[in-house]
Amino acid sequence: MPMYKVKPVSPADIKIDLPTCMYKLPNIHAQGMNCGEHALQNGEVDPALKALEERQDEVLRRLYELKATVDGLAKTVTTPDADLDASTLSRGPAESVFRATADLDSLLGKDLGALRDIVINANPAHPPLSLLVLHALLCQRYQVLSSVHVHSSVSAVPPPLLSCLGPRHIDSYARQRFQLGFTLIWKDVSKLQMKFNTQSMYPIEGEANVARFLFRLLSAEPQDPVLATQMDCWIDTAVFQLAEGGSKERAVTLRSLNSALGRSPWLLGQEFSLADIVCACCVLRAGQTTSAPANVQRWLQSCQNLGHFDCVYPLLQ
Amino acid sequence: MTKENVQGAGEEEQQAQSKKALKKQQKEAEKAAKKAEKQAKLAAEQQETDEDDFAKDRYGICPMVQSQQKLDRALVRVQDLTPEKAEQQIWVRARIHTSRAKGKQCFLVLRHQQFTVQALLAVGERASKQMVKFAANLTKESIIDVEAVVKKVEQKIESCSQQDVELHVERIFVISQSEARLPLQLEDAVRPEGEGDEEGRATVNQDTRLDNRVIDLRTTTSQAIFRLQSGVCQLFRDTLINKGFVEIQTPKIISAASEGGANVFTVSYFKTSAYLAQSPQLYKQMCICADFDKVFCVGPVFRAEDSNTHRHLTEFVGLDIEMAFNYHYHEVIDSITDTMVQIFKGLRDRFQTEIQTVNKQYPSEPFKFLEPTLRLEYKEAVAMLKAAGVEMGDEEDLSTPNEKLLGRLVKEKYDTDFYVLDKYPLAVRPFYTMPDPNNPKYSNSYDMFMRGEEILSGAQRIHDAQLLTERAMHHSIDLEKIKAYIDSFRYGAPPHAGGGIGLERVTMLYLGLHNVRQTSMFPRDPKRLTP
Repeated sequence: MPMYKVKPVSPADIKIDLPTCMYKLPNIHAQGMNCGEHALQNGEVDPALKALEERQDEVLRRLYELKATVDGLAKTVTTPDADLDASTLSRGPAESVFRATADLDSLLGKDLGALRDIVINANPAHPPLSLLVLHALLCQRYQVLSSVHVHSSVSAVPPPLLSCLGPRHIDSYARQRFQLGFTLIWKDVSKLQMKFNTQSMYPIEGEANVARFLFRLLSAEPQDPVLATQMDCWIDTAVFQLAEGGSKERAVTLRSLNSALGRSPWLLGQEFSLADIVCACCVLRAGQTTSAPANVQRWLQSCQNLGHFDCVYPLLQ
Repeated sequence: MTKENVQGAGEEEQQAQSKKALKKQQKEAEKAAKKAEKQAKLAAEQQETDEDDFAKDRYGICPMVQSQQKLDRALVRVQDLTPEKAEQQIWVRARIHTSRAKGKQCFLVLRHQQFTVQALLAVGERASKQMVKFAANLTKESIIDVEAVVKKVEQKIESCSQQDVELHVERIFVISQSEARLPLQLEDAVRPEGEGDEEGRATVNQDTRLDNRVIDLRTTTSQAIFRLQSGVCQLFRDTLINKGFVEIQTPKIISAASEGGANVFTVSYFKTSAYLAQSPQLYKQMCICADFDKVFCVGPVFRAEDSNTHRHLTEFVGLDIEMAFNYHYHEVIDSITDTMVQIFKGLRDRFQTEIQTVNKQYPSEPFKFLEPTLRLEYKEAVAMLKAAGVEMGDEEDLSTPNEKLLGRLVKEKYDTDFYVLDKYPLAVRPFYTMPDPNNPKYSNSYDMFMRGEEILSGAQRIHDAQLLTERAMHHSIDLEKIKAYIDSFRYGAPPHAGGGIGLERVTMLYLGLHNVRQTSMFPRDPKRLTP
């Protein structure tokens, strides 16, 4: 017996215009449907989405590469007979010091259209002689706007300290014409302090550390890691034993200086470097240069002949 | 009702009556007892006063000083009461700060300006009971003359300014009596805000202070603030006179608004009207054209701005400078900043007591500055602000919050509360500002800031009549109104620049106070015209 059939109410093949503003879900009943259709919601691939995907892939790839490199390094460092033998590191000819003007942008951050001002707060009782030498070197490489101020926490400062950065530049009224600012403030501080970009940098404390920072601006750091380490070693010796040590330590340091200078004209070899600047300043500040060993005296004379130390001698009286 | 009840009622009534009567009697007895007590007391007092008042002529209220006689008596100031004067008998005139009676003794604290000293009056062979009672009942703030012996004390009196001595009173007379109810208490007026809230003690709010300014100005803090302000004015004058400046006085009733029509007070001037000067700008410049080279003037400035902020007044004291220079307006900036630094140094070295006194009630950081003064350019300031996350255009003016942020950034990097910002954009400066020769978008103008708030606005002025006319037309200013001003440059005018500061604002920012009304003796603002 045939079943009751209802007459169709509407024709079977009605064309329905689906609204394009609605979100489509994939049809869970049909199989083998092209999923690509649902990726094309708006009729075209969103380029921003594609770019985002590409960026993510790129980042992931770089992450994997980095991981691989770190793993490799870890292996070389931790295994005792590593492939690298420190003693065979060639001491290549040290590149000429102060060869090229460093890219200030890469060292100090992008230029926002304002003078990049290095602010140094120093106590007038302990003038930072090595920084004055470095200032003279900086002035040869860049256009530096130097200024000296006295902070209200100090009542009076002897006149030589006010003119320690040399005469005022003729163009100092136009700050825009300079690449770098060097502002020295005589202030009642316990430790020398340098401020540069207060938003992104902590203040740097200590004359030796500020000296290292300024030396980097001259892009004269020795590339050879052994030399770099020796330089740091000499700087630390100067600060901790010459400047802050007792007379015994000073005597020992002078002797080691003497022996090092017997082998080469400068502390690191054939080239003048930050080690010479800091050590010479500490020796000069300690005084009694006439009783120093012969090589040390010769070396001090050479420093003076270079001309960078002219600003220091007036302050030694 | 039964008979017994009636009878009972009667009896009850009788009983009640007797109860009531009893009560009444008791009350009357009490009353009588009290009265008797009072009478006895009065009688006793009477007896007391009748008792021989042997000190009658050593105290009392003096008749009003109408210059009846010329007494050859030296009055010692409270601040001069030191152990060196021990055992001396001296006369002192001071106000009663507090008085406290304790049995047979009365402790008074006498005050003169910032200095206080303790005085003691005890019943003995020199002072009678009535005299001590009289002293204890004197109202606060009354002015009295006291003859006393200065005595050294073993233990320092912490609560007074003269800690090593106290006075033993022999004679006490009232010169001017104060009313008993004071509109505000001086101890409350000096109490720091936080302390008041913590301990639940009263502090006086600003409006009450300003309404009763005469009493509020007697407090140690107010005395210190206005002495320091006087120091600022004096240092300003001395420094500039030493630099060869001439002091001038400019008219305050003027015919045309000097800086812009909006904020002037109008006064009726016979058949027409005139204006009160917004600044001595025009006249300073005319003096320069009249070959005075370096001038300054100290005088009132009237701004009809309807701003009710912490740093605006309608009338304030302006300290203005104008100077002709040789080749570059930085010569003028150096002169102005050097003057400011000399003022700060003078205050730091000579007014420490006053600064400490103010800090007791209004604690703040000491004011720091550099010598020579730090000078930054506008572009650097914009870069610093951008690095700190502020979004602003290169030629936009600095809004007040941006100025404060910039002040904080400069303080962080250079540790100074005072600096100059040079080369402002031309668009935001008045029409008489000289444009920058190398970049027409900027100008030779500068602002000076103290603790992040602007205190001086200055510039190189245009000294060429033609350029001035062009700039005025560019700013759509009616040339007729400023004809006299432009004319003064037509007969040879030297290049010049200058600026002006507000005395009250500088004092407020130097001390780290928060409202300019605290540094103005009788402030004027849109809502206040008296005292």
